[in-house]
Amino acid sequence: MKATYLALEARRALRNPRALFFTVVFPVVLFLIEASLFGNSKVPGAPVTYTAYLMASFGAYGGFMACLNGGARTAVERSQGWQRQLRLTPLTPRAYLLGKAAVAQAVALPPILLIALVAGLFEGVHLSGSEWALTIVGTWLACIPFSVLGLLVGQISTAENMQVYTSGLMILLGFLGGILFPVTMFPNWLANIAKILPSYWLADIGHGPTLGYEQLTTAIIVLAAWTVVLAFAVARRYQRDSARN
Amino acid sequence: MLCTMDNTAQYRRQRDARLEPDRGAVSAGAAVSLVGLHKSYADIHAVDGVDLVIAPGEVVALLGPNGAGKSTTVDMLLGLTKPDTGDVRVFGQTANEAVANGTVGAMLQEGSLLEDATVGETIAMIASLHRNPMPVAEAMRRAGIEDLAKRRCTKLSGGQKQRVRFAVALVCDPHLLVLDEPTSAMDVGTRREFWQSMKEFTDAGKTVLFATHYLDEAEEFADRVVMMRAGRVIADGSVAEVRAAASGRTLTAQVPGASDAEMRALPGVSGVEMRGTRVELDCADSDAAVRALIAGYPQAHDIEIKAVGLEEAFLALTSEPDGSIR
Repeated sequence: MKATYLALEARRALRNPRALFFTVVFPVVLFLIEASLFGNSKVPGAPVTYTAYLMASFGAYGGFMACLNGGARTAVERSQGWQRQLRLTPLTPRAYLLGKAAVAQAVALPPILLIALVAGLFEGVHLSGSEWALTIVGTWLACIPFSVLGLLVGQISTAENMQVYTSGLMILLGFLGGILFPVTMFPNWLANIAKILPSYWLADIGHGPTLGYEQLTTAIIVLAAWTVVLAFAVARRYQRDSARN
Repeated sequence: MLCTMDNTAQYRRQRDARLEPDRGAVSAGAAVSLVGLHKSYADIHAVDGVDLVIAPGEVVALLGPNGAGKSTTVDMLLGLTKPDTGDVRVFGQTANEAVANGTVGAMLQEGSLLEDATVGETIAMIASLHRNPMPVAEAMRRAGIEDLAKRRCTKLSGGQKQRVRFAVALVCDPHLLVLDEPTSAMDVGTRREFWQSMKEFTDAGKTVLFATHYLDEAEEFADRVVMMRAGRVIADGSVAEVRAAASGRTLTAQVPGASDAEMRALPGVSGVEMRGTRVELDCADSDAAVRALIAGYPQAHDIEIKAVGLEEAFLALTSEPDGSIR
């Protein structure tokens, strides 16, 4: 029964060419531009090239944007009253929200894979098999809290202002978390704030296989904590939102 | 033609067999039972003590101006809103059980459709979520949208959208259908078509509760009218009863030689207006008045008795500070 539901959800996600462009093509293009700027020079004090470093950064960026947008898109069907219609079926809130999170996660995989593919085939990034696997799978799993964050945005925002929330979070989490900008260039106090953010640890998990993890256990704990707290907020919000808005 | 019927007929037999055993249980209880419902938002009493029992098979119109509490009542009936106090039962189940079991299907007021899915996909998806859905093709046939299966939901006219939403409400094969202003986005012709397709559902003995602004719709399609104002039920009865309760009927006739006082003395007359030989009597009981008129004034001719429209009844009831007629 849920298979038909999930299948349509997945098909719907693939049907929006503009969203697909921004989630898949855009991060790849950004990566290619940045990679051409820094080329194959080594990252100072590290055993990797800038291209390999940027591959992990933009994989994380692409994954987290896809998750955030994928989850936040529920604002549209919520604004349209479709969530109310679904509440009139045996579909439980848990199944609905898990389904949405699953679809957001699924959409996050293509940009991560594509950047890795482009990096490996055209940008001369050479990693061992386990390094590839850890980078790709690790980044993808570390994106889970962002799917849940997207769902929360979807439950709070409207179809009209959803974009404001997602771009705000993109800037906050992308830059402050050190995905788009190295934290090493931050003043100390800002670097400490960055370490509260899930994006900081997402970047650490992405860079870990090649640069070495900063603190893998901390990364997992922080990301899991964000997931739990955000999931709790989503569940509460969904429960309270059954009335018309 | 025959081969398409085959499937449908077979399905109907299965459905009827499924319905048969619980028909006894259903007749013992009400289709809908709302007891002492209250719901406030901040300091607004949206619903302020609603009691309503609907028997299986009834087609009930819920009528009232904006802000009367119709939609909040419907939301509580469907379990979308929790009442502050009071009890909701749908065929003996709680609202949430009735939804989960597909006992109740609903067309919500502002609910739109998924923009990036086709009509067929949408209905199939909803059907897949229900436990005992009717075949998707059957739901689409009943709503009159077989030809729209492959159409994107964005490419539909207002009337077509409503019919798709009707199919969405229908596909769980409900015993009770709840419609919140189903025809508000439709033109007159589309409204007529919509109610035509609804008829098949009610003819099968199913229960319908629909909230509406349109008095003619209530008059034409409902067995019973429940009027709400300021969160309360202010009138409840058949269309004829509600209409009569508001201001009865008007009797006009040519009665040469009759005086105002004589006319006032007739039984069942509450008001008189005379223009020459033409009298216009406001009647609480037009039957008694017309009998007495013919008996006492054999010269009376051109007698006309006109019922007050539901619209007048509605306006009279909803504008008076306390229009309770129960």
